[in-house]
Amino acid sequence: MAIAKAERLMNLALCLLGTRRPLSKRELRDSIEAYVEAVRPVNGAAGSEDSFNRMFERDKDDLRELGLVIETVENLDGEVGYLARRDSNRLPPITLDAEEAAALGLAAKVWQQARLAGAASGALQKLRAAGLPDGVDPYEAHGALEPRIPVHEAAFEPLMLACRDRRPVLFDYRKASAARPEPRHVEPWALECWRGHWYLAGFDRDRGAERVFRLSRITGRVRSRGTGFTAPVPDVVTVRETVASWAGEIADRSALIRLRSGAGYPLRAKATEVRELGDGWDELEIPYGHGLDAWLVEFGPDVVVLEPAELRADVVDRLRAVAKG
Amino acid sequence: MAGKPARTVNAIDQTRRMLSLVTYLRERPGARIADVARAFGISEDELVADLDLLPMCGTSFRGGDLLDIDTDGERIWWHNPAALGEEAAEPLRLAADEATALLVAARAVSTLPGLREGDRQALLRATAKVETAAGEAAGASSRLSVTFESEGGVFADVDRAISERRRLWIRYYSPARDEVTEREIDPIRLVSVGHTYVEAWCRRSEARRTFRLDRVAEIRILDEPSAPPEIELRDLSEGLVQPAAEDPEVVVEVGPGGRWVAEYYPHDSADELPDGGLRITLRTPDPASLRRLALRLGPDGRIVSPPDLAESARRAAREALAAYDGPVGAVPGAGGGRSERSA
Repeated sequence: MAIAKAERLMNLALCLLGTRRPLSKRELRDSIEAYVEAVRPVNGAAGSEDSFNRMFERDKDDLRELGLVIETVENLDGEVGYLARRDSNRLPPITLDAEEAAALGLAAKVWQQARLAGAASGALQKLRAAGLPDGVDPYEAHGALEPRIPVHEAAFEPLMLACRDRRPVLFDYRKASAARPEPRHVEPWALECWRGHWYLAGFDRDRGAERVFRLSRITGRVRSRGTGFTAPVPDVVTVRETVASWAGEIADRSALIRLRSGAGYPLRAKATEVRELGDGWDELEIPYGHGLDAWLVEFGPDVVVLEPAELRADVVDRLRAVAKG
Repeated sequence: MAGKPARTVNAIDQTRRMLSLVTYLRERPGARIADVARAFGISEDELVADLDLLPMCGTSFRGGDLLDIDTDGERIWWHNPAALGEEAAEPLRLAADEATALLVAARAVSTLPGLREGDRQALLRATAKVETAAGEAAGASSRLSVTFESEGGVFADVDRAISERRRLWIRYYSPARDEVTEREIDPIRLVSVGHTYVEAWCRRSEARRTFRLDRVAEIRILDEPSAPPEIELRDLSEGLVQPAAEDPEVVVEVGPGGRWVAEYYPHDSADELPDGGLRITLRTPDPASLRRLALRLGPDGRIVSPPDLAESARRAAREALAAYDGPVGAVPGAGGGRSERSA
């Protein structure tokens, strides 16, 4: 039976951490059972130096993903050796009390995405090994609070890695109202989750400007495109403001409407002024931003727009389209 | 080899865990399986699988100094802790992904309005300490952020009612009917999936209901104890709206400008149309609630079936249009118009 990958990685990690001098590839190959097997032909199947080399490179990359700093050192004979130095791999001293430990415990559970869930528990386990108190989760008692960060978009993981490593990407993107997706070359800056949806902010190479993308509108695979950014990354990336303006939440004007008494609670909640007219109708002043016309039409005959004329015309157009069927 | 990536992730997670585990166990001879599994946030089976694997691992040179760790099913014994040299036994620094995952989650949770102030302070202190300890690895965490929806006062009241096991009175807005209703609910848990919801037993409908906190118009904690029946909690990770197979079917056709419908409404199918639009088939227990959607879509889409739903949207639009015939502000059923206001 093939040796479990976790066993192989664990042995490589322990060898590299335990040594004080660089170990050559040959020494590592002869020390770790899984590598010995990779080189040795089994049942006629070709074990080879090549397959060992590929395995070894992949394993080093995997260990680096776990945070291990592996140094490559050349000795006087020109032979390459590897080691994971204590100084560069040790967690600096950190002392957390029981309350702080419990709070981190709650935070570590919110990810629903496999990679980040694994990384968050891994972080907590490293802290546990460093003496983080095994506190009782204060929320376990009544289980009231269950914050969850949803990640349903396939594009999330490749974009997260591209943001982390500052790698340009290429993906097909279908704009909200576009029939067909278009390829977009983007230097990804940051991902933000707002109201349960993920957005990417970055520099759009084709348009030569900053753009915000909604991950659910990315179709197909996210591909890496070369290395290095061409545009400077701003200190503050404002995803939420851009999305809020799409959603019409940034209003610079106000509108005057009539609303049937008792109807349209969300409009009342947003209103800056409400006047009861006493005839079954109220008059409301509400913020007027992008998309207000579509929202008002939802309330059908319970809303009448008074001002401004432009909004009134937009609402009438929409109502006519619906009336026509 | 569809299963391969998942296995790769597991091997990495397991290696990461075992590296911490050896450091942890070295300090705690005779540690109990149950305690260690809880401290590491894993099942006892997962821990036992790690313990089966560790005796195959060592710091160098085959067979020479393997870790002699075993368990009697209750406690864990390590017979040669010295086999793990001082170097390999140190707690490891955080990887960039680990720091990102923990810090982003901690920052998001610290903004949750329902968090008790003491816990928020503890979390902020912990976050600062982890940032310092992570050093450079913390840098990339600024490239990811999460904001939970915040309905502060409502959240705090629901959270308190759950911990004190008390019933709540709420005025709740249902967009489907555009009405605000009063009801008493026995809250079970708070869930944050984009928006924040309370899952509760609704005393008015005698059924399990999920209420979105930003739709709670008013809330009061009652003196009566909360007594929800024992119900199985659902896994809500796939979304809160889970239509049933027996719900009536609705077909909506949208143009390119209405494609967002497929993003917001869980649906059975969404077929591409030649004009760049979609034909979306979805199910809902209450098709009448989709009249709003038909109105909202305007020129960007229409209900195809059921026909009575399509007709009710057309009727509502015609009725609404009547108010715009004639002079500005001439509202049907209203005594006066715009002139009432001293502008």
